[in-house]
Parts: sequence; structure tokens; C-alpha cells
Amino acid sequence: MTSWVLSTTVFSPLVGAAVLALLPRRDELLRVVALATSLVPLALSAWLFWQAPRGEPGFWLAERASWVAPLGITYHLGMDGISLPLVVLTAFLFPVALVGTWDAVRTRVKEYLLLLLLLETAVLGTFLALDLVLFYVFWEAVLVPMYFLIGLWGSERRAYAALKFFLFTMAGSVFMLLAIAGLYLATGTSDFTRLVATPLPRAAQGYLFAAFALAFAIKVPIVPLHTWLPDAHTEAPTAGSVILAGLLLKMGTYGLVRFCLGVFPEMARGAAPAFMALGVVGILYGAAVAYTQPDVKRLVAYSSVSHLGFVVLGTFALNPQGLAGALLQMVNHGISTGALFLMVGVLYERAHTRALEAFGGVARVMPTFAALSLFVVFSSAALPGTNGFVGEFLVLLGAFRADPRWAAAAAGGVVLSAVYLLWMVQRVYFGPVRPEVRTFAPLRGHEATALLALVVVVLWIGLYPRPWLARSEAAVQALVHRVTASVEAHGLAGGAR
Amino acid sequence: MTVDLRPLAPEVVVAAAALLALLADVFTRTSRARAVWWLVALVALGWAAGAVWTAGEGAFGVLYARDGLANALQLVGLAVAAGGMLLARDYLARVGLDRGEYYALVLLSTVGAMLMVASQDLLFLFVALETLSVPLYVLAGFARDSHRSQEASLKYFLLGSFASALLLYGVALVYGATGSTGLARLAGAEGSFPLLVGLGLVVVGLGFKAAVVPFHAWAPDVYEGAPVPAVAFMSVLAKVGAVGALVRLLPLTLPHLLPAWQPLLAALSAATMVVGNLAALRQTNLKRMLAYSSVSHAGYLLVGVAAGNGTGVWSAVYYLAAYAAMNLGAFGVLTFLERAGVEADEVEDLRGLADRSPALAAAFAVFMASLTGLPPTAGFVGKFYLFMAALQGGLLWLAVVGVITSVVSVAYYLRAAYAAYLGPGRAGVRLHPGPWAGVGLGVSAAATLLFGVLPGPLTTWAQRVAALLR
Amino acid sequence: MIGLSHYLVLSSLLFGLGLYGVLTRRNAVAILMGIELMLNAANVNFVAFTRFVDPTFVRGHVAALIVITLAACEAVVGLALVINAYRHLETVNVDQVDLMKG
Repeated sequence: MTSWVLSTTVFSPLVGAAVLALLPRRDELLRVVALATSLVPLALSAWLFWQAPRGEPGFWLAERASWVAPLGITYHLGMDGISLPLVVLTAFLFPVALVGTWDAVRTRVKEYLLLLLLLETAVLGTFLALDLVLFYVFWEAVLVPMYFLIGLWGSERRAYAALKFFLFTMAGSVFMLLAIAGLYLATGTSDFTRLVATPLPRAAQGYLFAAFALAFAIKVPIVPLHTWLPDAHTEAPTAGSVILAGLLLKMGTYGLVRFCLGVFPEMARGAAPAFMALGVVGILYGAAVAYTQPDVKRLVAYSSVSHLGFVVLGTFALNPQGLAGALLQMVNHGISTGALFLMVGVLYERAHTRALEAFGGVARVMPTFAALSLFVVFSSAALPGTNGFVGEFLVLLGAFRADPRWAAAAAGGVVLSAVYLLWMVQRVYFGPVRPEVRTFAPLRGHEATALLALVVVVLWIGLYPRPWLARSEAAVQALVHRVTASVEAHGLAGGAR
Repeated sequence: MTVDLRPLAPEVVVAAAALLALLADVFTRTSRARAVWWLVALVALGWAAGAVWTAGEGAFGVLYARDGLANALQLVGLAVAAGGMLLARDYLARVGLDRGEYYALVLLSTVGAMLMVASQDLLFLFVALETLSVPLYVLAGFARDSHRSQEASLKYFLLGSFASALLLYGVALVYGATGSTGLARLAGAEGSFPLLVGLGLVVVGLGFKAAVVPFHAWAPDVYEGAPVPAVAFMSVLAKVGAVGALVRLLPLTLPHLLPAWQPLLAALSAATMVVGNLAALRQTNLKRMLAYSSVSHAGYLLVGVAAGNGTGVWSAVYYLAAYAAMNLGAFGVLTFLERAGVEADEVEDLRGLADRSPALAAAFAVFMASLTGLPPTAGFVGKFYLFMAALQGGLLWLAVVGVITSVVSVAYYLRAAYAAYLGPGRAGVRLHPGPWAGVGLGVSAAATLLFGVLPGPLTTWAQRVAALLR
Repeated sequence: MIGLSHYLVLSSLLFGLGLYGVLTRRNAVAILMGIELMLNAANVNFVAFTRFVDPTFVRGHVAALIVITLAACEAVVGLALVINAYRHLETVNVDQVDLMKG
């Protein structure tokens, strides 16, 4: 008997949104209800995390129901070692984002919270959907709430940034829609678990893979399809940025792993060198441009491009270390970059500007905040002891096994990221205290709570990553085996990977 | 030979209700009293819908046949008429145009659409087309005091009659080529030159009615000038009739001539999607924007026709149902807005809507999302089916055009939805919510979301139509 | 002998004339006359085809009668609309009827 745990996890925010819609417009009440709602998926996913079997390569929890019966499209959710960390990340980041930006938004609070809850359902659904049409529905359903979140509660260029974000992302995904329709017509099914067992027509595989890859590449984003990201991240309200960077980008990387590697293993293997190169380009380019940014939020946005280059590199190294590292980095990036955006939010609330030059000596005025910020920055810079180190180390290990040159270049990126991050820290937190900074209010309770929660996770994964790695190990191994086995099956020279 | 009128019962009921509505003005004086006749008309529509739902197959001579396609599209047409009536009541009472003639015109054109989708004879089709169109010409000019409304009806009449004349000439040529105007004789006919020319003219005539490029030029002016509830109604009903007729004529009757008509339909479809969406981008008048959006949706519907397969046929039926819900809804929101005593029809007039009525703004956002084709709305499901049909029919390029133009359409649909959430409202714009229109909008919004989240039942219903494919 | 082709040529000429009228005339009533010409061209076709192609039924004649009736109804409505438009816009010149940008 199915327990429908997954569906409850996915749809509880939606139910909460429905309840919220009926409540009177009393801001504090609404915020509390929204937070309570977002804790439900957190509790459920924490329980699932604790319960997760180790060594189980498949979908150890699944729910299935007929959806569009005439076409055989099903409502199929499933969790395995690859989606588990991402679901937990999602369930964790939403409450943290809500707490961290508790009363930053004061206009149309009801609509704001409604959209965040709708967004949570859509993101959770994306990570759990196993039917391609269902996946697409959740994938696109993310767009409208995010558009309104950026467009209505963002900064000066919000309308432009919101539309750019929407158009870019949708332009990629519509070709994925055609590919899904094509897959359905060719194989008679849109169910992922059946598709991986069905041989696909070779001629079409290239186009189908390209369509999926395009949609995910725009989302990750992979250079040069990244130009929507700086604007969207910068103009979004803080909670929006946290979710956008922490989760929406992971939808792209998850898609690459689940669908590009999973459904098109041969194509993935063939395209791997190109993707690894693009990953390295992202790492270096993102870091270089981040260094030049005068706007601290834009700096963090470009750091996202750089960090996700590591994820792409690790994914397409096509070995267990690389993939496990990439998966862990997805979680790590969510935590650290989410925290970075919260930091920027704290600064912005006080200074009402994001220009780096407006800050200086913040550590003197807000010591607790500076301490927490430093932990976050170390995590982003992948200092040993932090989660970032574990993830990037694994990625580099995997990349080295695949192609040492890319690994060497990527390692250079690690140095670069330290450069721009520490330089940012120097300019904002240390140095002479600027007069405006002296007027900063001390760190408020909710801001501290959110940052502290994130820092705890940073240290937990950094010092004891075993639980995380163990739960995804089997699925990662199985996927890598599937991708590389397809190499030998077709007699292509694989080498020792 | 006794003639069995029973298959025509629904049409007769609706026509009788139309005549009753005409009499309403003679016997009633106040708006309240007329509400009774309006209710009678609604009941008649409901009764007719029930009759269609329970009706099996049936035929009226060789001219008319009630089959799966006819039943399906008649239900859609009746739903559109009911929606049109609900939306009209409050608006008409507000502007002082509350007369039985309006309801009579709506009902009469509905009869025309019902006959069109069930016709088995081209001449009968022509008569039904006129029955559909002429009341719409008058409806466009219903706002007697508005110059733009009179201009709209004049343009609509001139261009519409012109297209009907083209269609009739085509029918005559087909008659000459096959010796009959019936679809039965057409089904086995070989593609001789007069036949193809005649068919081409028929397609042109029907394409005009559906606002297909390049026969769409009347739509922006007519939609801008006509009263909003009339536009809501005519934009959908004309497509139901015209696309229904095209579906019956081309994929269902002439599958053996597919190589002849598929390129033409595919080209028309692509041109319509492209022109409709690009032109809509530049509009600041909301009614004109929705007019071009209407044009583009004719393009999407034609994708299903051009695909030429069973999937195309039933996906077109599905999309007509979805389109009815979302388009009636989109225009329906407009019926509430008024600026300086006339319709508020600029995109800017939507500003502040979210502050005045959050539910209305949310519903509007749902309709815009559905028109764009975003999940989880009916518009998305419909487009998915249509593009799948195109892929199945070997028209990958058409599907690509379709998805790209859908992305383009985001820019103007979302801009409108976004405007509704920007405050403060434009000076002088007032919101007049009405109970009946509210019901209509609520049903439309619910249907748009329901068909998007649970498309199964509607898909099954639409797929029964595909069984007709020979 | 007058054959089918003669009738077809006649009807094409009528159709062409009507088309020309619709496309070039600016007076709304004149456009309507052009449309009527086109409808009657189709009528000529119907009758001619019945005579030469399908003599067993008089389908074409019936069709022509239906069309004549329909054209009359259409003309009634159309002229009413033209009169109404004239009352408001004080012209029936379609070039001058352009309140809404094209």
C-alpha cells in the first residue's frame, strides 16, 4: 500500500497556500502560517533522509497513479539516492529563506507568501517526478511564481530581469517539450523508469539529447547561456535570490544527471568532453567576472556560475567520484550561496545599496554577523572543514581521473574563487569603518537564526559528510555504471575511467 | 418519406429560445423583467446541451449528421453561448443596452455554429455559415452610440460577406467537379483542378471566419470596436464553427488528398502563429492585443487540422474547449472595467486590479498563463497535444514554429498579467463587478485549471471524435 | 451551341467584376453590389452545372434559389448596418471610416 509520503511532501505547501489565500490580511499571521506550512516538507524529508536505505540503487520509494489515462501518462513520483539530497535541500532552504527575510517584504505579503509556497511545490515536484510530462509540468510551473516574485518585489530593474529570466528559461524548455512528445511517440511511454529500459532510435537520439541538454544548460546555467542569471539574481528580492540560486539552478543540474545521463547514456558519453570543457569555462569565467563586480549581489551571482561549473565538470567526468562530488556540490552550493544571498540581504536592509564601495569595517559594528559571514565565505571558497571542500575535492578527483587537464584548470578556479571572495570580505567587513556603516543595526534574531542554521549544515557536511555520501552512493554508482557500460557495449574505446 | 426532426431537437430549442428572446422586448419594459427571458434562454441552452450529451448518432437527410465531432463541438458551442450570456448580462445592464435582441443574436449565431459543425453538405455549410455570421455582424455594432462599434460592424459585414461569396463560388466549383455538394460524394473524388480550386476557396472562406492569416485583417478593428461581451463570444464561437467545418472537410473527408491540402494548411498555420504573435507584441490596446492573440490561436488550432491524423483532430477539439474557457475568461475580466463612461481597453487600465480585486487579478493571471501555454493550465495541455499531433504527422517544423511563437507570446500575455499587479490604478478607471459575470469567470477559471491539472476526462471525451477518421 | 464553358466564362467574368468592385470601390453600398455580383456568379455556376453535369436532380437550381434568398437577407442586414454607420459616421466611404488604426 502506498503511503503517499512523497505526494504529501510535494503538495503540502500548495495546501498551505490554499489556506493562506483564505486568511485575512494580517501580515504576522500570514508569515507564521507560511512558515509552519514550509516545515511540513522539512519534517517529512528529514524523516525520509533518516529512513533512507543505503546501498539501494533504484527508486526505493515511489508513488504511481493514472493521470492522463487515454495517453498512458501517469502521475509517478519516486525518490532515490540522487533526488533525496535535493529534496532535503529544498525542504530546508524554504523555511530558512522565510525566516531569514522575515519581514523584508511588507507590501502584498499574502501574494508574496502564496507565490513562495507555490514555488516550493513546483520545485519539490521537479525533483521527484518520474514521468516526463509530469516533470515538465513542474519544471515550467516554477516560472510564473518566480517571474512575479522578481517582478513585483525586486529592485530597480525588476521588470526587465523577470521577463529576461522567463523568456530565456522557457525558450530552452519548449524544445524539451517537443523532445518529450517525440520520445512519447517513439516509445509509447513518457515514464522515466520505462524509458531507461527501452532502446531509443539512434538517429533521433542526438536531437532529443540536445533538446533536453539545452533546456538544462540554460537553467544551470552553462556559459554562454548564462546571461539571464546576473540580472535575475540581482534584481530579485532576497528570498527569491536564495531560492533561485539555491534551488532553481539545481533543477538544471539535476536534469542533466537524471535525464541526460539517465535516458541518453551514449549521447552523454559522447558529449562529455565538451561539457567538461564548458564546466571549466564556467568556473574560470564566472570567477573572473565576479572579481570585477562593483555590486556585491552581482558578485555572488557570478560566483554561482563559477560554482556550478564544478557541478557540470563533476557530472560529465562520468565516474563515481565526480558524480558524487557533483551531487554533493549541488547541496553545498545551495547552502553556501543561499547563505551568501542572505548575507547580502542583511547588508542591503541596512545600507539600502549593494555597491561594494559603500561598505567597510562591518565586522567592527556587527561582529556576530561577520563571524557567520566568514564561515559562509569559507564554505563558498571550499576551505577544508567546510562542505565546499568535500564537494569540490571529490569533483576534482573525478575530473582528474577523466582528464587531468580539466582538473588542473578547475583547480585554478578554486584559487580564483578564493581571490574574489576574500577580496570582497576584505572590502566589506574589514578595513576602516565607514560612517554609514556605524549606523547599522545589530543582527536581528531571525537573520541570525537563518544564518546559523546554514552554518551548522556547512560544518556538518564539511566535517562529517558520510551520511550524505552514503545515501547517494548506490544510485551514483548505478548511473555511472549505466553510462560507461554503454560505452563497452558498443565497442567504443573507453579506457580506464 | 417522413423526416425525422429529432436529431435537430437541440438546434430547434435554441432557435425557439432566440425567437422568444426577440419577443422579450415587446412584452417587457424593465431590465428586471428581461432577466426572466435571459434566464429562459440560459435554460434553453442547458436543455440543448443535455439533449446533445444524451443524443446518439442521427441524421437529417443527407445534409446533416449528428456524429461524435458534431456532438463534441456543439457542446463546446453551447458552453460558449452560455458563457457569453453570463458575461453579457451585467455589462449590458450597466451600459443600458439590456435588450432581448442581444440574447436572440447570441442564440441565433449559436444555432449557426451547431449546424456548421454537423453539416454534411457544402451548401448547407454555407447556409449555416451565414446563420453564424450575420448575427455576429449585428452584434459587433450593438453599441448604438459608439462610433467605433458601428465602424466595426460595417467592416465585419463587408469583409465577412466577401469571404462568404468566395466560399460560395468554391462550393459551386466543387459541385461542378463532383456533381454534388455533399461531403459523401467528395470523399471519393479525385483531385481535379476545379475541385482543388473550389476547395481552396472554401478554405479561404472558412479561414476568414476563423481569423487566419492573411484573412485576419478585420479582427483587430472589429474586436476593438465591438462591445466586450460580444467580442468574448464571437471570438470563440466563430472558431468553433470554422475549425469544426475545416476538420470535417479536410482530415475527415479528404484524407486521400492530404498531399494537396496539408502544405497549404501548414503554411497558413505557421503564418498565422507568427503574424498573430508578432503583431500582438506591439499593441497597447488590450482588445487589439487579445484580437491578435485570437488570430494566433487560430494558428495553433490549424496545427491540429494540418497534422491530418486522428491526434490532430481530437487535439483540435480539446483545444477548442480549452480556448473557450480561457478566452471567455480573458475578455470576461475586461467586461468589468470602465473608464470615463466607456470601456477601459488599454493594457494600462489593468493597473491596480490586484489591489481592488485580488481574485480577479489572479483569475486574469491564470487566463494569461493558459493562453501562453504554461502548465498547469488547459492551454498547456492543449498545445502539448497539438504539437504532438504535428510531430506524429511529420510536421516537426510546424511544431517548432508553434513552440517558438508560444515563447514570444509570453512577452505580451505576461505583460498584461503583470500590469494587473502594478499599482496604483490609472485615474478614472472603475471596476464594476457583476454577479453573473463573476459566476462565468469563476467557471472559466476553474475549467482552465481543472482541464490542465486533470486532463484525463476531457481527453477521453475529445478522443471519441478521432474514431471518425476513415 | 452554347456549352458549359460559355457559362463558366460568364460566371468568371461576373466574379471578376464583383471582385474588382469589392477591392477597388470605396462606397460601402458599391462594395455590397460587388459582393452580390460574386454571389450571383456562383449562382450562374450552379445552374450551369446542373444543366450540363448533373441533370437528374435540379440541385443547382435549388441551390441558386437558396442563395438568392440568402443574399437578399444578407443585403437587408448589410444595408441596415450601412445606414446605421452613415448616421454615426456621416459617410459610407470606407477609406474615411478609420477611427481605429489599422
